Amino acid sequence: MSLSASVRPLACIKQAIRQCRIERQQTRRYAVPATEAEYPSLQTRYPPPTPGFRPSQAIKQNRFETGLKKIPVVPPPRSTTKACPDPISILTNKQISVLDPTGARTRLFSPANPERVQPGDILVVRLRTGDPVSGTVLNIRQRHQPIDTAILLRNQLTRVGVEVWFKVYSPNVEGIEVVQRAVKRARRAKLYYMRQPRHDVGSVEGVVKQYLRQRSGGPLGSREANTGRKTGSKKGRK
Amino acid sequence: MPPRSGLTPFSLPPRFLCPSVPRSFTRTIRTIQPTPRTRTDRFNHGAGLPILGASKTAAFLRKEAMLPLRTGALAIKKGMTAIYDPATAKRTACTVLQLDRCQVTGHKRRDAHGYWAVQIGCGTIEARNVSRAERGNSAAQGVPLKRHVAEFRVKDAAGLPELGSIVTADLFQEGQFVDARADSRGMGFAGGMKRWGWSGQPASHGNSLSHRVMGSSGASQGSGSRVHPGKRMAGRMGGEQQTVQCLKVLRVDKENGIVVVHGAVPGPKKGIVKLQDAIKKPWPQVELSVGVSKMGSTAEALESTI
Repeated sequence: MSLSASVRPLACIKQAIRQCRIERQQTRRYAVPATEAEYPSLQTRYPPPTPGFRPSQAIKQNRFETGLKKIPVVPPPRSTTKACPDPISILTNKQISVLDPTGARTRLFSPANPERVQPGDILVVRLRTGDPVSGTVLNIRQRHQPIDTAILLRNQLTRVGVEVWFKVYSPNVEGIEVVQRAVKRARRAKLYYMRQPRHDVGSVEGVVKQYLRQRSGGPLGSREANTGRKTGSKKGRK
Repeated sequence: MPPRSGLTPFSLPPRFLCPSVPRSFTRTIRTIQPTPRTRTDRFNHGAGLPILGASKTAAFLRKEAMLPLRTGALAIKKGMTAIYDPATAKRTACTVLQLDRCQVTGHKRRDAHGYWAVQIGCGTIEARNVSRAERGNSAAQGVPLKRHVAEFRVKDAAGLPELGSIVTADLFQEGQFVDARADSRGMGFAGGMKRWGWSGQPASHGNSLSHRVMGSSGASQGSGSRVHPGKRMAGRMGGEQQTVQCLKVLRVDKENGIVVVHGAVPGPKKGIVKLQDAIKKPWPQVELSVGVSKMGSTAEALESTI
């Protein structure tokens, strides 16, 4: 259009006049209301609803029989689901308070704790039924219930890779100690790549032995330093 | 055509030989009224005779020995978790169930219905969503409206608790065994491998487009060249009632209505589970009134509204 306007200047005027005519017609159409004679079907048959009228309520009111005898309804008794909407957490919390009375282990794996165990750390797990197991944390499994929290440790025994899962709250686990934090935060939640030969850190026995030697005084099986916080403070001291 | 024999006017002997026989022949319709048929029974039963094995009475008596003495309860499946035994360090997977406003809403009597059963309702439902007939029924019984209703067979009238009494979680004792029945998860239309656990066919060795098919549906001439009834095929799987027997009750919390049972229970979370004493274990040694009481019932509120 702009091209034609530049070539033929009068055509532009013609276009503008045409536009004006259309617009005038439009305004005229909007200004004139629909008369009865023109659109009888648009006329309202009933008076308009009063302000505050809600159709959804009107439907509910109609549903109850007006002419019939009213049937009394016994009110429902006290609801246990309302009183206790999440029984599973009640059950698990009660158990955790027995299995972990000090809350140390919960803190060791709580996401709110910046000092928590993270993949790549080296841990020693003391067991009630055997020798302590050490290894690098490959995976921390947090299922929908905290009581099912578990860790996967990887180590090498006689040059053979060994991986063991431990349920954190199992009564068999007497204590969990952090031997060494990961140098850098792992950028994966599951360090399964460490199973590959080129990423395998190998045996952590030396690190654990040195840690146990550095722990002053106490015998090897001491129960005092089995919480993450105490270990952290020790690490800070050295 | 053989000669017809019958009572026709022309085949009768003369009148002087048999005067009582009517001679006028009129064509009549038989009758439109139903003839009173005497019900003849092929079977030999009566007051002094032994009960027939195929009768309803015999069926009731056969089952009577296996029926629980007490009512059961309707519970909501809340989900699964685990319980540790601190002494043995044994971890036990368990299902958490919760009783919600579980109440006796009706009785089934041997004389009126043919068997003894307790009707239990759980949950609640708004009155405007219930039909007038159902509202009238619960008002007549004096019980609140219930979202879910189920029946629990009991052995005799002693197992019928009072109408409107509330069933609480302490109906079950820790250590007792229960049967749990619930509708399993619906799997939709499933193939034969998933539905019936077939192994399927090899992936290779010349197999063509028939890795998961059902294969043959039967022999040819030897079995009558037909598919026998009950042949396992693909179809709707799940969504039907399943029973798990002899689940041990691990924890009971009356205040919160919690019942924890060992292992898995059919159906999804929030599903309704029917719990009753296990029929394959000895009945629990408790009073019949344990766990069923009128305490907390709101039946008196009905009187005030009338």
